[in-house]
Amino acid sequence: MKSHYPSASLAPNPTYDAASITVLSGLEAVRRNPGMYIGATDQAGLHQLVFELVDNALDEARAGCCAGITVTLHADGSCAVEDDGRGIPVDLHPTEQLPACQVVLTRLHAGGKFGREAYRYSAGLHGVGLSCLNALSSRLTLEVWRDGGHYHQTYAVGEPLSPLRRLGDTEKHGTRITFVPDPAIFVGSEEFSLAALSGRLRELAFLHPGLHLRLEDRRGGEGREDFHYESGIAGFIKYLGQGEQLLHPEPLLIRFQDAELAGEIGLQWTGGYSGKLSGFVNGVNTVQGGTHIDGLKSALARVINSCAEELGMLQRENGEHVSTLDILEGLIGVVSLHMDAPEFEGQTKTRATNSHLAARIDAVVGAGLREILRADAPLALRVVGRALDAGRARAAARRVGERLRAHSGTSGFSPEVYQKQFGLRSRNWHQSATWIAHADLLAEHARHLKLAGKPLLLDVCCGSGVVGAAFGNKVGRKIGLDITPEMLALARTRLDQVVQGNVYHLPFKAASVDLVVNREVLHLLPAPELPVAEIFRVLKPGGQFIVGQILPYGPEDAAWMYRVFKKKQPLVCNMFQEDDFRELLLGAGFVDLEMSEYRLWESIDLWIDTHETTPLHRQEIRELFHHCPQEAREVHSFEILPSGEIRDLWRWCVFSVRKP
Amino acid sequence: MTDLKGLASHDNLKAAFAREAGNASRYQYFARIAEIEGFPGPAQLFRDLAESCLCNAHGHLDFLKLVGDPFNDLPIGETADNLMAAIAVGTDDGHNLYQDCAADAGRDGYADIANWFATMARSSLNHTDKLHRALSQLTESLGKEEA
Repeated sequence: MKSHYPSASLAPNPTYDAASITVLSGLEAVRRNPGMYIGATDQAGLHQLVFELVDNALDEARAGCCAGITVTLHADGSCAVEDDGRGIPVDLHPTEQLPACQVVLTRLHAGGKFGREAYRYSAGLHGVGLSCLNALSSRLTLEVWRDGGHYHQTYAVGEPLSPLRRLGDTEKHGTRITFVPDPAIFVGSEEFSLAALSGRLRELAFLHPGLHLRLEDRRGGEGREDFHYESGIAGFIKYLGQGEQLLHPEPLLIRFQDAELAGEIGLQWTGGYSGKLSGFVNGVNTVQGGTHIDGLKSALARVINSCAEELGMLQRENGEHVSTLDILEGLIGVVSLHMDAPEFEGQTKTRATNSHLAARIDAVVGAGLREILRADAPLALRVVGRALDAGRARAAARRVGERLRAHSGTSGFSPEVYQKQFGLRSRNWHQSATWIAHADLLAEHARHLKLAGKPLLLDVCCGSGVVGAAFGNKVGRKIGLDITPEMLALARTRLDQVVQGNVYHLPFKAASVDLVVNREVLHLLPAPELPVAEIFRVLKPGGQFIVGQILPYGPEDAAWMYRVFKKKQPLVCNMFQEDDFRELLLGAGFVDLEMSEYRLWESIDLWIDTHETTPLHRQEIRELFHHCPQEAREVHSFEILPSGEIRDLWRWCVFSVRKP
Repeated sequence: MTDLKGLASHDNLKAAFAREAGNASRYQYFARIAEIEGFPGPAQLFRDLAESCLCNAHGHLDFLKLVGDPFNDLPIGETADNLMAAIAVGTDDGHNLYQDCAADAGRDGYADIANWFATMARSSLNHTDKLHRALSQLTESLGKEEA
């Protein structure tokens, strides 16, 4: 019978015996499949290499043997991490008959943390950090100052180039590892991000009061940042809450310690929307949470509900209760644990998995928070009231969505709904997203201007008027149009005249303006062909329409983006794809279509921090990024920073068309 | 034994497949919400049940493949057949099912749902393109084998 398996014909009677079995040496396996060890070979993986070194130095700090850690980025693409700890042991390993430092740099599953004698609370566990780093570095230099000697050894892709040499005497102690990430592994992402590294070092400095951390950037000058705090978790929470309206002046702190587990939990409720819970286990930022964060959430739900009950704040007749999501709204929370034998999901340790942590943290936080709230009744009223308000606001937001539905008939548009949504956000309009006041993106619209003279400009749905204003003196009179009084007031500071009205019925005569500009609005409007037809109507023949819109990269990410955008803003009606948008413009009668793309990084954490997004939806948006389908990921760039912050690369498309 | 096609049991297997596949998806959705809400117990239960439901759905397919694809009765089993059945369903989804759904949603006054279905139609056709390419490659490699 003929085989349907093509490979069967490659070699007649292929030999399959013991010699066919390939055994990869440990470090070769790392190079073949680096993602398994460091998560990915993108910039996040690159930073993971630095953090592996920093984690090792932190272990020395936690053992009380290290006071300072310096990360230096060099112009040759290398990165050095130096600590003033005890120095990696250099004496001969009893069984391997090699210097111990060479063993940890070249053997997987070799390290000082398995025995627990040398390090009690360690971030490293798997004994793969240093050897992986070495395998993935085109060049690595080890320097150790220990036992009165200065030692030196160099490596290339995990292999020693020279034996460990003693260069001389010293009284110094510590370790410095300088490595160049192998460009063959980190293709196209060999550059370290200062923001990612400084964010991580800052949080580590808060988590380790007294420790000095330094980041030096010698790539194009002499930049230096020092991180040293004595304020611990309380200081960290104050840092995270900068600029927020605080519900209580000082963070609520809960500390505990027993033979196996020591921890500190800090809580700060703010007036903001987007809360953030951060979990650390032995300094590792578990950006996807885990059992410790589960324990915190369940304790919060239990205590706040019982407080609400005791204070008589629930509308019992309606069966009201406080949902966890409402408690988390505007809450900055940090859980920092130090423990024996931490367990994590994956080598990059994004989630803590020790099963007993949930119940333990639940019990500790439950008791601690109850005591704090019982001792301070006004505080309890504020905290419980905050959560109840969030729940009631959520119900109101749902009603907005329902009203939108009720109005979306043939007219398809309800100005009141839009007025409410955008009126509230106008208070911090320019701070509510990076794109709104981004100078280059605004200039991209103005670059499309083709009209000579001093054309009369109409900025429809003008918001704060920044798009129209971006045309500067290249145009004549600038008129804005919006529906909310708050926006009208903002736009009047930038445009010559602002009128109230909506884009379905533009309050202008036919063929009365030379140029219409508009940005990121049509996706929020049912039947977008109607406003486009209105814009066509008011333009003079030969007039120009310039419109900016975020579009998906293709059908691969469109559905995923639809879900993300709809969860952020319930008014989203259209996830235009590029040809839809072209058709929308050309279908209205416009001609001479030109389009330019502008890619802009946007922090999702900032963008979702508005009343338009419910607490559940904020978390769901984060989840959508964490579980983005591979198909979408291949066309749509985004990054999840070591701090857990998500940055998305938005595809802005700016279109220009002309009325014949 | 009577041919399964057209019997009540065939219809029941199709319905049960849709139900179990739907349950797997629903439970995964519910698990994420439970996790966000801070209920790890129900989250894990939903994840475990989703896994079982998926296994059950595959069990229904074990029987259904005696007749064919549950959505169009085209033969399934071997990869070339599976690709063809998937292309047929994707093409129908993209050109017919989702277009009709979008039109209904528009008539119902739900502009957002209409656009969601239109997005689905695009996605289905995009998937179909990928499946077509995979089928061509497979046919080519099998063709070489035959030669």
